Amino acid sequence: MSSYSPENLSLAESVLMGVKEEPGEPLGLFFWICVGWVGLNIFGAIFANVLPLQNPLYGNFNLINAAPSLHHLFGTDDLGRDIFARVVYGARVSITVGLGSILIGYGIGAPLGMLAAYRRGRFDAILTGFMYLLLAFPAIIATIAILSFWSPRSLFKIIVVIGIASIPLVYRVIRTATLSVATKDYVIAAKVQGATDRRILMKELLPNIAPIALSFFLIGVATIIILEGALAFLGLSVNPPTPSWGNMINEARGVLSQNPWLALFPSLALCFFLIALNFIGDRIRAHFDVTEVKL
Amino acid sequence: MLRYLTKRVVLLIGIVFVISVGSFYLIHLLPGNPATVILGFGATPEAKAVLYKQLGLSKPIYLQYFVWLGNILHGNLGISFISQTTVASVIRSALPIDLEIIGISQVMAFAAAIPIAMRSARKPDGTLDRFLGAGSFTLLSIPPYILIVVLVYFVSLKWGVSATGPSAYVSGGSFFTNLESFSLPAITLATGSFVIYYRVLRSDLISTLQEEFITMARSKGLSQRRIMWRHAFRPSSVALLGAASVNIGGLIAAGFIVQYLLQIPGLGYTLILAINSSDFLVVQGIVLTVSVLVVAINFFFDFVINIVDPRISRE
Amino acid sequence: MSDDNLLVVKDLTTTFKTSGGDLTAVNHVSFDLARNETLGIVGESGSGKTVLSRTIMGLQPRINTTVSGSSILDGFQVVGASEDDKRSIWGTEVAMVFQDPMTSLNPVMKIGKQIDEALRVRLGMNRQDAKARAIELLELVGIPSPVQRYSAYPGQLSGGMRQRVVIAIALACSPKLLMADEPTTGLDVTIQAQILNLLDELKERLKMSVILVTHDLGVVATRTSRIVVMYAGRVVETGTTRDVFYHHRMPYTRALLESSPKVSNKSHTRLVTIPGRPPNLLNLSPGCSFAPRCKYATDRCHSERPELQPSIEAGHSFACWNPLPVNAEATLP
Repeated sequence: MSSYSPENLSLAESVLMGVKEEPGEPLGLFFWICVGWVGLNIFGAIFANVLPLQNPLYGNFNLINAAPSLHHLFGTDDLGRDIFARVVYGARVSITVGLGSILIGYGIGAPLGMLAAYRRGRFDAILTGFMYLLLAFPAIIATIAILSFWSPRSLFKIIVVIGIASIPLVYRVIRTATLSVATKDYVIAAKVQGATDRRILMKELLPNIAPIALSFFLIGVATIIILEGALAFLGLSVNPPTPSWGNMINEARGVLSQNPWLALFPSLALCFFLIALNFIGDRIRAHFDVTEVKL
Repeated sequence: MLRYLTKRVVLLIGIVFVISVGSFYLIHLLPGNPATVILGFGATPEAKAVLYKQLGLSKPIYLQYFVWLGNILHGNLGISFISQTTVASVIRSALPIDLEIIGISQVMAFAAAIPIAMRSARKPDGTLDRFLGAGSFTLLSIPPYILIVVLVYFVSLKWGVSATGPSAYVSGGSFFTNLESFSLPAITLATGSFVIYYRVLRSDLISTLQEEFITMARSKGLSQRRIMWRHAFRPSSVALLGAASVNIGGLIAAGFIVQYLLQIPGLGYTLILAINSSDFLVVQGIVLTVSVLVVAINFFFDFVINIVDPRISRE
Repeated sequence: MSDDNLLVVKDLTTTFKTSGGDLTAVNHVSFDLARNETLGIVGESGSGKTVLSRTIMGLQPRINTTVSGSSILDGFQVVGASEDDKRSIWGTEVAMVFQDPMTSLNPVMKIGKQIDEALRVRLGMNRQDAKARAIELLELVGIPSPVQRYSAYPGQLSGGMRQRVVIAIALACSPKLLMADEPTTGLDVTIQAQILNLLDELKERLKMSVILVTHDLGVVATRTSRIVVMYAGRVVETGTTRDVFYHHRMPYTRALLESSPKVSNKSHTRLVTIPGRPPNLLNLSPGCSFAPRCKYATDRCHSERPELQPSIEAGHSFACWNPLPVNAEATLP
């Protein structure tokens, strides 16, 4: 490649070639709006019980498929239940599944990935080969198959299945990230200076892969939430009458012409939450990726 | 080059083999008895046991696998418990649908993504670029099933164009008769793909355009169009092809949901039905087919990448 | 000067918009270039010489860049011209040889095709003619077995060969002006001389003008008729090569000359360096840009910027408040 690296260039030449001088892009206003939105959703999910909401399970049969009104901010569904309350409670399912599963994935996949990348050798070769094999397996099919038969279905089971399925992916991402850091000179320098493995892992590697790890964490949550939605469409998510964004949208399909609100609001809730998560994840990556060349 | 290719083929066959073992065990470990499904709930336990034996399910699992493997190598995929037709024919009627839908969606996605990404890369941070950046990000976050619901709402209900229902699909029908019915799922899948391809290509083009050989091409007096297509696109397409490889593999999975929602009898729809009715051999056959497909796609794209950028195989 | 000049540059200024503010890389540069003349533009990294070489032919970046002043090449005004108009002179009137042939050649395209491209697109040649001419050009620049090399990729050639290919491409459409931006900096020392000699030869044969941009005075010593010395984006001295080497007035020029290592020095001679670093172009002082590093700087030098003033010899000017005395000399490196 070219002999140009930021240290060798003069300021003018750097400008000419578009190499960035200062650390990453600023996070921006929209970033914080997204953080706020995510926080709001989480807050709503946790404190749904004590918030002034309608009862999400109570169906008022005189008022089915009603349009939004003061009393029912998002209208009612085909059983007369308040959509707004159901959407707020529905966040619980999505967020719990998203967070829970990814935590399982990270809890097992991340330490293994880091260790394998750091140690290399046989341990790495065998483990990575195994993981890549798991990755080649169509996970969706396995997930569908397992959840179809492992009855009765519960939130816990869903989290476990998806969580285990996410382990190879987390493993691969963390391992790749650690590999690119572990070969850098400053890590080798630390080793030569006699630092213990644990110290290197904590002080050198961890801080450097943290941005990527965090970014992927968020994107992983988003992906899993999408997955939960898909499962709901197959009838494999939580059982009714528990509200989840996915199964609300699924129910809405049947009454689409009469009640577009039932499809609209959970969809918006889901999409906005996903957009916020994706944006935060992307921004974090861009902010910390100092080597990215910008025009 | 030849060595590289043969190494890859062997590796990929190995992967498919392992996957088939894995899925075989997985399916058989699940509860669910095809005998019950076939005979119905009212059947006596004895009748079920007889049928069970007849279907060859009473043998130990590893034996069943070898029987299956032997049959495979003779081209025999087995018989569906439910429909009593060969698994091969089930797949034969379902597969073209998947291929057609994915094929159309990818053609649409590429046809849109490539020129638009080029336009954006030429004027980064211009109005088009900003708009697309935000818009694509939003689209990326919309799951395909929601997109389907939205599209169905507008297309079917508001505009009265009917596009759903299994009767609309003639399996084995010609490419063109099905075109109209496939447009909805194809557009849905195309949207997600477009976003990914656009982002990848744009970012790669921008960084390629900053390279010195582009300035040199400029100094030769070549037109912008020529520089973009002849010089910038080729190196930038490597990342795009990589993304396509991963994406198409994922589409096969995403396609399942879309098919199920619209009741299109492709592989995904058939698979879900088969899982629900414990139709082991069909499930196994479809998993095998899907694995081979994904692996073949990876292989194909690796090959193309090699042609585009010969440096890769030389390293 | 007279209108027999191939290139007339007047007050050329290039400014970049950066996140740190406006950066003026080329600051009111003026000079002329006659036909069949070789001019040297000399300066350290950051002096603006590369940006200058590109701006002269209109090849500066399109984004966040403003150019003012004038650069007239054989009657064509480059500054302010549209991209389409500029394209009409690129290759046929003026061509550039870039510094690093590994990055200036398209790595995934055969070199023969890269030469063909110029011939077919710009001169309208058909495939056979273009191929034949390309092979001729490869011979012209001294590449052995040109027919085989025609189908090679850049990665399969050595550094010197690659640079010859770059030169061949530049010459394809017989430009009147060849802009060579550090053409030998990335190459082995032994190859350097070869390439420079090649350029000399070609210039004679094809009756071109050449601008040699470099930081290395050894390169320009015997091959140029005039020299422009740049510092921090401005011209600080200009004149015939002889005058600049033997009768320079600006202390920076002296410092540059002194800092080139000479074969005639005794072994273990300390290398002379210029203390300090090139100035930050975002934060230019009101006075002479070289003042902070100059041995002879006076108060006036720090507060007031010197303009170019003529020296004794014709065509020789310098920008300094406290110039070296007229008869000072330095030996040629």
